[in-house]
Amino acid sequence: MIGFIYQLRDAGIPISAQYILEFYRALKGGLAPDMDRLFLLARLIFVKRVEHYDLFEQVFGAFFLGADPAQSVARWEELLAGKPFQEWLRQEIESGRLSSKELQEFDTEELLAKFWETVLAQKEAHHGGRKWVGTGGSSPFGHSGAGGGGIRVYGRGLHGTAQKVIEKRGFVDYSDKATLTATNLGQVLTSLRSLRPTGPEAELDVDETIAKTARNAGEIEFIFRRELRNRLRLVVLLDNGGYSMMPYVSLVKTVFNKIRGLFRDVNTYYFHNCIYGTVYRDIQRTQPLKWETFLGESKSTRLILIGDADMAPAELMAAFGSIEFYNNERRPGWEWLKELRHAFPASVWLNPIPRERWEWHSPTITQIGRLFHMEDLTLAGIKNAVEHLNVQGSAFDKVMG
Amino acid sequence: MNQFEGSERYYLNPELKEIVNIAIAMEKPLLLTGEAGTGKTQLAYEVSRTLGFTMEEARCKSTFKGEELCYVYDTVLRLNDSRFGSGETGRDVNNIWDYLRFGPIGRAFLSDDRRVLLLDEIDKTDSDTQDNLLDVLEDGSFIIREINHKVSARQKPVIIITSNAKRELSDPFLRRCFCHYIPFPPPEEMMQIVRLHYPEIPEEFLEASLTSFYRLRGQGYEKPPATAELLDWVGSMWKSGKQSPGAGKETAHIGTLLKRTQDILKFKGLRRESRF
Repeated sequence: MIGFIYQLRDAGIPISAQYILEFYRALKGGLAPDMDRLFLLARLIFVKRVEHYDLFEQVFGAFFLGADPAQSVARWEELLAGKPFQEWLRQEIESGRLSSKELQEFDTEELLAKFWETVLAQKEAHHGGRKWVGTGGSSPFGHSGAGGGGIRVYGRGLHGTAQKVIEKRGFVDYSDKATLTATNLGQVLTSLRSLRPTGPEAELDVDETIAKTARNAGEIEFIFRRELRNRLRLVVLLDNGGYSMMPYVSLVKTVFNKIRGLFRDVNTYYFHNCIYGTVYRDIQRTQPLKWETFLGESKSTRLILIGDADMAPAELMAAFGSIEFYNNERRPGWEWLKELRHAFPASVWLNPIPRERWEWHSPTITQIGRLFHMEDLTLAGIKNAVEHLNVQGSAFDKVMG
Repeated sequence: MNQFEGSERYYLNPELKEIVNIAIAMEKPLLLTGEAGTGKTQLAYEVSRTLGFTMEEARCKSTFKGEELCYVYDTVLRLNDSRFGSGETGRDVNNIWDYLRFGPIGRAFLSDDRRVLLLDEIDKTDSDTQDNLLDVLEDGSFIIREINHKVSARQKPVIIITSNAKRELSDPFLRRCFCHYIPFPPPEEMMQIVRLHYPEIPEEFLEASLTSFYRLRGQGYEKPPATAELLDWVGSMWKSGKQSPGAGKETAHIGTLLKRTQDILKFKGLRRESRF
C-alpha cells in the first residue's frame, strides 16, 4: 500500500506523512471493506484538490485495477476473476503462503504486515509495482472476513463507484495543466490580495481606548481605526502586437477579460514585443503614456505583464533595438525593463508559451525570466503568480496605506 | 456507531453517504466543494436531522476573522460597566467570563451533546481567517486570547464545511479536512431529485424539462443554471399550467433559469461587444 502512496506522490499529488497515518488508522478501523470504499477513503484522505482527481483516478486504476494508464480500464471484476490474479491466488494458497482460513479471517494486523511485504516484493519484482493485482508480490487483498478488516476481492463492490468513476475520467478538466476556462481562472485570481486600511473608522482599538481612557481619568473615550480590507490596484501590460503572440490570442483573451472583470481597479496598457520608455493606452498603440507617470504608481500596485518575451536578442539588448520603424530610442529594452521592475516590486510576467518550451523557444525568455518572476498561462502558473504577487506586495501595503 | 442514511425529503447519492460516514468515523471535518445548488448546505441539515444532533451554523462573511465564530469578547460593554456599574444585570466587571459570548463553534464545543457544526461558504473568508480556524479543525479547540484559556470540545462535533470555490482555500486548511467535490448530478439523479419535490408532475413533462435544462447548461453561460434554478423553473411552469417547457428561444420562464443580464442577452441571441 505504501507503493500506492508513493505512486500518488510521484504523480504529483502532495502527500503528507499525516495522511498516511490517517489512512492506516482508517484501514484498521475497517472503513474500506471493499474496493469502492477503499477508493473513496483513499481519495478523501489523499486528495485535497479537485485538480488532482484525475491523477488520483489514474494512479488508483493503474495500481489496484491493473490498468494501463494509457488505456481504458478493464472491468475490475473481470480482472479479479481473470487468469493472472486467480492463478496467483491459487499459488499462494497451494504453496501455503496464504491459507484459506487466513483468507477468510485476515485481520488488520496481518493486513498491515502484508502491506509492507508487498512494498518490498514489488520493489524488486516489478518496476515499482505498476500492476498490483496479479503480478506477484504479496497482496493484502483477502476476503473480508467477519472482522471486516480486509478488502473484498470476491463478489461485487458497493456500487461499482470506483470503476465507473475511473472509466469516465470525469475530472480531466480540473487537472493542473488543463487549459484555462473562465471559471477555474476566476477561482485562482480572486485570491490576489492587497490588504490596506480602508473604509470608515469602525474597528475598536482596545489598547488605544484603554490608554486614552486612563489618561482621561476613567472617562471612556473610544478610539476607532480603519479596517484592513482588500483593495487591490492592478496594472496589466499586454503585448498585443507581432506575429509571435498570434497563436495565443484566445488564451490571453480569456485571462485578460477575467482580470478585467474581477477587479475594479485595473489599468491596462499595451506594448509591442519589448518596452522602450512608452506604453500605450489603446490597443492600436497611438496614445502613449508618459513613462514617468507610469512609473509613478504606488509601490503597492501589482503589475502583471502578459507577453511571450520572445524577441530577437538585439531587440532586447542593443541600442536602437526596437523593430518599430519610427522608434529611435537609444537605450536598449533591457534597461527600460529594469526600470520597470524596480518601479513595481510586486510584478509578475505571464508567458503564454508553456514553461517546458521556454528554454529552447528563445534566449530572451530566459533573459527576461531573470529579471521578472515568470510563469506560464496554466492554472498552476497563474496560481504561482498570484502567490508571488501576494508575498511581494504585502510588504508595501502597510507602508502605503 | 452513528450511521448516516438519507431521508425521504433529500436524495442522497450513495457515494456521498459513504463519504459522510467515513468522515464521521474518522472525526475529520468534511469539506464539500462544488457548484452552487448541488445540495452542500442541505447535506449538513440532513446529517443533523437524521443523526438527531443539534445544528450549529456559521454563515461566513468576507469580514470574518474566524475568532468571532468561536467567541466574542465584548470590550465596550465591559468598559461601560466598569465606568457606570453593571447595575441589576448580574454581570461582574471583575469576571471576564461575563463578557464572553460564544459563537457557533464555541457553542458546539461547550455543549455536552454531540452537535453538527456547519461552516457555510468558507471560501468567502480570507486565508488569514482560515488559518485562524486551523486548531478548531485539527483537534477541536480554540484559545480565548484575552485570558489565554484553551477551550476544548467536550464532544467533537461533526464538522461540515462548504465552499463554492469562489476562491482558493489555503493549503494548511485543506490538509486538515477531508475534501470532497460534489459533481453536478447527472440527468438520472436529477430526475429523482425533482421527483422528491414534485411527485405529481408527469414523466414526459419532466423529461422534456430536463432535456432543455441540460442543453442550456451545456451552452457555456457565465452562471449556468443549477439544481435550485431547475426546481424553481419546473415549479413555476407547472403551477402556471404550462403543458411543455418549450424549446430554444421559446423556453418558458427563462428568468428563473438564467440570472445574469449577460446570460439572458446571450440566450436571446444578443451579444455584448467583446472587450478585448
